[in-house]
Amino acid sequence: MKKVLTLALALTVGNAAAQSAFVWPAAWTGEQNTANKRGGELRLSAISDFKTFNPFTSSEADSITQRMTEDSAGLFFQDPRNDEFIPYMAASAPVVSNNNKRFVVKIRQGMKFSDGQAITADDWITTWKIHTDDKVGSNSRDTFFLIGKPITVKKLDTYTLQFDFPQPSASALSIMSYAPWPDHVFGKAYREGGAEAIKKMWTLATPPSQIVSPGAWVLESYRAGERAVFKKNNNWGDWNKDGRGQELPYLNNLSVRIVADANAALAAFLAGQLDTVAMRNADDLAQTKKAIDAGNLKAFLKANVSPQATSQWITFNWNKASDPAKQKLFRDVRFRRAMSHIANRQAMVQLALGGLGSETYFSTYPIFKQQIDAGLSAGAPTYKYNLAEASRLLGQLGYTKKNAQGFLVDKAGKVLEFNLSTNAGNTVREQLGRIFADEAKKVGVKVNFTPIDFNTLVSQLTSKGENRPFDAILLGLSGGSNIWSFGSNVVPCGTNLHSYNNPTDGKCATSQEQLMTKLYYQGDAELNDAKRRAIGGQLMKVEGELQPVIYLVGGNYHVAYNERLGGEFTANMMDAYYGHRYFPLTFVK
Amino acid sequence: MIPFLLRRVVQSIPTLFLASLLIFFVIQLAPGDFLTPAKLNPNISPEQIAALESNFGLDRHPIEQYLLWMKNMIFNLNFGLSFQYQQPVLDVAIPRVLNSLWLVLLNLIFFYAIAIPLGVFGAVRQNSLGDKAVNVVLYFLLGFPSFFLALIVIYFILQVRNATGWDIPINGMTSNGFDAMAPLEKVWDVLKHLLIPALVLAISDAAGLTRVIRGLMLEVMRSDYIRTARAKGVSERTAIWKHTFRNAILPIVAGIGGLLPAAISGAGLTEVVFAYPGITPMILDAINTQDLYLIAGFTVLGTVLLVIGNALSDILLAVVDPRIKVG
Repeated sequence: MKKVLTLALALTVGNAAAQSAFVWPAAWTGEQNTANKRGGELRLSAISDFKTFNPFTSSEADSITQRMTEDSAGLFFQDPRNDEFIPYMAASAPVVSNNNKRFVVKIRQGMKFSDGQAITADDWITTWKIHTDDKVGSNSRDTFFLIGKPITVKKLDTYTLQFDFPQPSASALSIMSYAPWPDHVFGKAYREGGAEAIKKMWTLATPPSQIVSPGAWVLESYRAGERAVFKKNNNWGDWNKDGRGQELPYLNNLSVRIVADANAALAAFLAGQLDTVAMRNADDLAQTKKAIDAGNLKAFLKANVSPQATSQWITFNWNKASDPAKQKLFRDVRFRRAMSHIANRQAMVQLALGGLGSETYFSTYPIFKQQIDAGLSAGAPTYKYNLAEASRLLGQLGYTKKNAQGFLVDKAGKVLEFNLSTNAGNTVREQLGRIFADEAKKVGVKVNFTPIDFNTLVSQLTSKGENRPFDAILLGLSGGSNIWSFGSNVVPCGTNLHSYNNPTDGKCATSQEQLMTKLYYQGDAELNDAKRRAIGGQLMKVEGELQPVIYLVGGNYHVAYNERLGGEFTANMMDAYYGHRYFPLTFVK
Repeated sequence: MIPFLLRRVVQSIPTLFLASLLIFFVIQLAPGDFLTPAKLNPNISPEQIAALESNFGLDRHPIEQYLLWMKNMIFNLNFGLSFQYQQPVLDVAIPRVLNSLWLVLLNLIFFYAIAIPLGVFGAVRQNSLGDKAVNVVLYFLLGFPSFFLALIVIYFILQVRNATGWDIPINGMTSNGFDAMAPLEKVWDVLKHLLIPALVLAISDAAGLTRVIRGLMLEVMRSDYIRTARAKGVSERTAIWKHTFRNAILPIVAGIGGLLPAAISGAGLTEVVFAYPGITPMILDAINTQDLYLIAGFTVLGTVLLVIGNALSDILLAVVDPRIKVG
């Protein structure tokens, strides 16, 4: 009888466990771990030292907490095959109501933090509360707001959460997918000491044994300026299984070594001390290739896997009350189209990026291919390199005569010239600017190109008012998602990176800007992927015609990793957005 | 002695005040602040930036910031909060200072162990082939910045490593799995990592001191009392080490005060080249990100130590040279 009972119990428990586990699709790896290889360490690097263990005050891209929860904590998970969100820490898809503004999410049961405490709705509530507290200064604070209004999170029961959005948003599932931090650690401190208590927690001086993680990894040791070592969170494997039902991750450890700079990281990779490193340019690729060919390194190397999710552009200042002639010129769409025709993007890719880049014509990065295709089929124009066309457009503006130096002059004899600045020290941008200035000279436009201090440049770009202190700026942006690939701070009028027109009242100067602002919010609120991309296509068409910002080129993404690693994506899944692997599925051969 | 120290303390107040003023406002002169890069982030709203500015006190007038910083420093020994680390400056800096200290101490040992014998040898065997050979090598090294020498050394180590498979550490302070090591293993592991950077630093710095010692020794060796001592029949060893060397090193003792701030300011770019977790990489990072209080706090710490170090070397000088009195 006892035996039968035990068996029944085992079956029930086994059944419950099976129900509560997330199964990582076998299709997410090109090479699966069929030999049951376990253990080993994945060796990564970082260029700057870690600043804190605290998930709320951290402002770095690859912080300790980011590493602990990367691809391994959050309600939903984006499938690299089709960009769709699938329930991850959520037990199932959310129940949507209230005109797409309310999402009720059931949480997967049986999940535990690395310290053994159950992960429940309270953890999400506390995390949200602390992130949105102004005094804590969390970098994630803005992700919990939509058009300035807060998103609220409510606990319905221990395993049910309710999210209320001020308006429908395509990014809703992404916004909900933040990592939950333990209520039994942070909630207690927050209730007792508020924001100040939170800021004092989990500093670099905190013993790693006190750090608790919801993700695949938990901090094992940290030595300032040297390395952080993570060990696998054994409780995570309870609800994360591979296609054959085995616990993940396969690896025992993940280490991040702090190196002096990207060159040192490359050197360590070439010496076989790191498992993967970012390939920045043709030089890096050549060195890696050489090492592989010489037999010193056994590594996988693939160049030009996809464009990077970044942009480089030139923006013209529409708020130049001190120089009405220039303001009028910069506000003339023919002038800006002429400037786009002057930009020799092919030469920029060849000369500044060593041939490893992509031409760009829109604020949407070329990597977000579905959106780009939608824009092109909506008729979004590309003003390609064409000096004759540029001359024609400038002629329409009254610039038909050239002076003795070969520069175009207006009727009063004033030379057609403007200042263009970029941040000093960024060699790629400096080259882009030179190429642009050289081409401009061919049609008679005098471009005074000067690299200046980065901080000065940023304060010029983000300044507000009727008379902003610059003519034109060459800079870049990165960040953004493939759900709605337009910047919330870039497209709508009055936002701080609406760089070309930013008057005191934040009003649009043209009807196209108004339309773009409207389309931006309309697309952001559209939950249907195809419809949203169509709205994005409309937006790209208006933006392309207005040419408020001249988009230039972007670098490409290359993949290199040591051959001892397995579990990478299939070749067609690799790109700059998803990378080349999920660490939980990675194993050492 | 006590009045001397008291006078020193009083004298140091205006020095420190002016130094702190200069440090703080020179940093302020640089355009932008810690939050500038955040302004280019499409995901951070201007409201959030404004909230952070008031959190960090960056929205206040620089003079107000300075006074607040001074007040906290004097009354609470609080050097301010590092923006990046969200931690008191001292908590961030002290582990790094300790790391640098090990490197600098080992470097000093090598430094004197190389410079003193070579300097004395050069003086005793003046213009011999050996002296000339040492001179050539030292002049060569004198013209080399230490970080460049470090790069060359790393290159050669890598060649040796590729050829022999010998695992010579070239960066960091510890090996993988350091935490699991036995105490003695740990000491050996750190020493292994320190050896090459310390040696590189000592060799490139020793050139200067060797020349100084050589010159001073030569000068003293020609003086009457050495001749007298030799005439009285003291052994060559006593003549050189007891009579000559002791008198020749006085100017070096006077310079020891500079070692204290040097010890905490770390080993400079050599640390960067060897990816050693010392002070320099941290300060460079702080300058890069305009982490105001970390830079200012650390520089003030250095200035204080310079003042203390100078007082110390004055005292030391009095101990070595009975002609000098403090007080």
